[in-house]
Amino acid sequence: MRTSVRTALLTCLALLIGVACAAAQPAPPSAFGGASSAAPNAPGPSAAPPSPSFAFGPPQAVALHAPGLVGAFFSWVVDTQQTMQRELAGGVKRLKTGDPFIAAVSLAGLSFLYGVVHALGPGHGKTVISSYVVANEETVRRSVIISFIAAAIQAMTAVAVIGIFAIALNASGLTIKAWSLQLESASYALIALVGLWLLFGQLRALWRRFRPAPAFAPAGAGGPQVDFDDHDHGHDHGHAHAFARGDHDHDHGHDHGHDHHGHHHGQGEACHHIVDAKDVSGPMSWRKITAVVFSVGIRPCSGAILVLIFALTQGLFWAGVAATFAMAFGTALTVAGLATLALGSRELALRLGGNSGAWAEGVWTVCAIGGASLIVLFGATLFVASLGPARPF
Amino acid sequence: MKPTAPQLRIRRRQFGCLCAAVALLASSPASAHPHVWATVRSEIVFGPDHKITAIRQAWTFDEFYTAMAIQGLDTNGDGVYSKEELAPLAKVNVESLHEFAYFTFVHFNDDNKPLPLDAPKDYWVTYENPVSTLHFTLPLKTPLDPREKPVAVDVYDPTFFVAFGFAKKDPVKVSGAIPADCKVELEKPDAGAEADAKALSEAFFSQLGPNSNFGSQFAQTVNIVCNKK
Repeated sequence: MRTSVRTALLTCLALLIGVACAAAQPAPPSAFGGASSAAPNAPGPSAAPPSPSFAFGPPQAVALHAPGLVGAFFSWVVDTQQTMQRELAGGVKRLKTGDPFIAAVSLAGLSFLYGVVHALGPGHGKTVISSYVVANEETVRRSVIISFIAAAIQAMTAVAVIGIFAIALNASGLTIKAWSLQLESASYALIALVGLWLLFGQLRALWRRFRPAPAFAPAGAGGPQVDFDDHDHGHDHGHAHAFARGDHDHDHGHDHGHDHHGHHHGQGEACHHIVDAKDVSGPMSWRKITAVVFSVGIRPCSGAILVLIFALTQGLFWAGVAATFAMAFGTALTVAGLATLALGSRELALRLGGNSGAWAEGVWTVCAIGGASLIVLFGATLFVASLGPARPF
Repeated sequence: MKPTAPQLRIRRRQFGCLCAAVALLASSPASAHPHVWATVRSEIVFGPDHKITAIRQAWTFDEFYTAMAIQGLDTNGDGVYSKEELAPLAKVNVESLHEFAYFTFVHFNDDNKPLPLDAPKDYWVTYENPVSTLHFTLPLKTPLDPREKPVAVDVYDPTFFVAFGFAKKDPVKVSGAIPADCKVELEKPDAGAEADAKALSEAFFSQLGPNSNFGSQFAQTVNIVCNKK
């Protein structure tokens, strides 16, 4: 798994470099001539007078401005997003009019950046994934991988929704919106259920810990920091694959017998966990991870839906798909960054106790119960909100 | 080296602050996150008795939303999105706008509670490549006389899913018999710092719930003001 992720990343990088090199070949002089050549045919009869910077004539809005310093920051965020979205639209169009290589590279880059910023908004799993990794015995590397799988599923959901409804069924935008909202509600409901399941598991583990019986000896034997590859010794061999089949290439052969004591420390991880305290949280489990990424991933990213439909109307669906995945790469990075930050806080909290086992136990308990509770609360709140009146746009 | 007890107490307090910071960071920019941009052009409609009877709206949407909205609506396949073909879209838009008070908030004399509006009777969508515009007229339940008290019209989405901004050119027009000493004007955004504290607390906390009022801080206002004799 680890190597395959690394391979995938390297492949992406190699592709980008390759395309960039190809684009550096001498290009015809008309590379960006298309933008201005679109000018004569645009304005409709009743359109407002064309503004000088645009080929077409729709009215341009004044910049939004909220009062205060914080408001200025939010205004900037909003403005940046609008600029990026316009750039994205321009990027898709340049594929037809400009040099295709340059256009492809800039579209990929733009989509990636858009994804990084866009993920700060709701609906990309940052709360769920951060809470999950904090509540469970997860490492930085694992939370990065979880973020990437969730983003990939989300991208595939968006492509599937547009592929089925817009292309196969030629459904209207209203139908697509309605289906996206259904998926969104389902995602929130699933998040709440997954949270409940995690919470139940944590509470059960906690209950076991406080029983006098020495039932938990084996769990600590593998060392506190379970390596990514040797998942679930003696636990969870069931591996629920029902959900994200084919979405990730994980190792079906259980790597028993090696790496048990391999301490793989990501940044921000303390070197000495208190072994006993680890029992509070469950062991690394693909079943849990699958549930988390699936519940997050079945909600299509609204940004991706818009880019896909826009690309489709330009007759460049493939560009939309590529942009969607570049965007997913960006959102995954942001989500992974926030999850890492959350993990860093947990590790810091653990270190604050010095060598106090009781303190570490307390931190683990709070993280485990608090994280799972947060997921339940988050999913339930958004699910209820999603049942409200449908948005007009 | 084992830290002393007071050291630990301080560090734990610091940790509390860190936790709060992380929680805010994780949730704060969430609502500064519109998905649809709309350029607003409004018309203030005056009746023969010089009272405001209706607000006429024309909202031009961005290219991305437009592509989504008109998808699949060229029912006769002639490549033209006619007013008739776009009629179902206009109907759904306007009917669901009802739940959101048409994102149009009419205030009489700085009254905090917006005045009730009737459901629009005429509404349609036009498509001029690459953007679409939703037109509708919102009748006021009771006509307002701006010479009595100042009238203000805010256009915004409280949840900030849609970012409404008035057009740079001709943001607001007058239709009908406006009283001679009255004028309509778009309020300039106030860069003053007096709202800082309010914005700070509202920005962080109002958006945590689904009934967020986050968008109100971006509201743009049309004032109908008259010179008192």
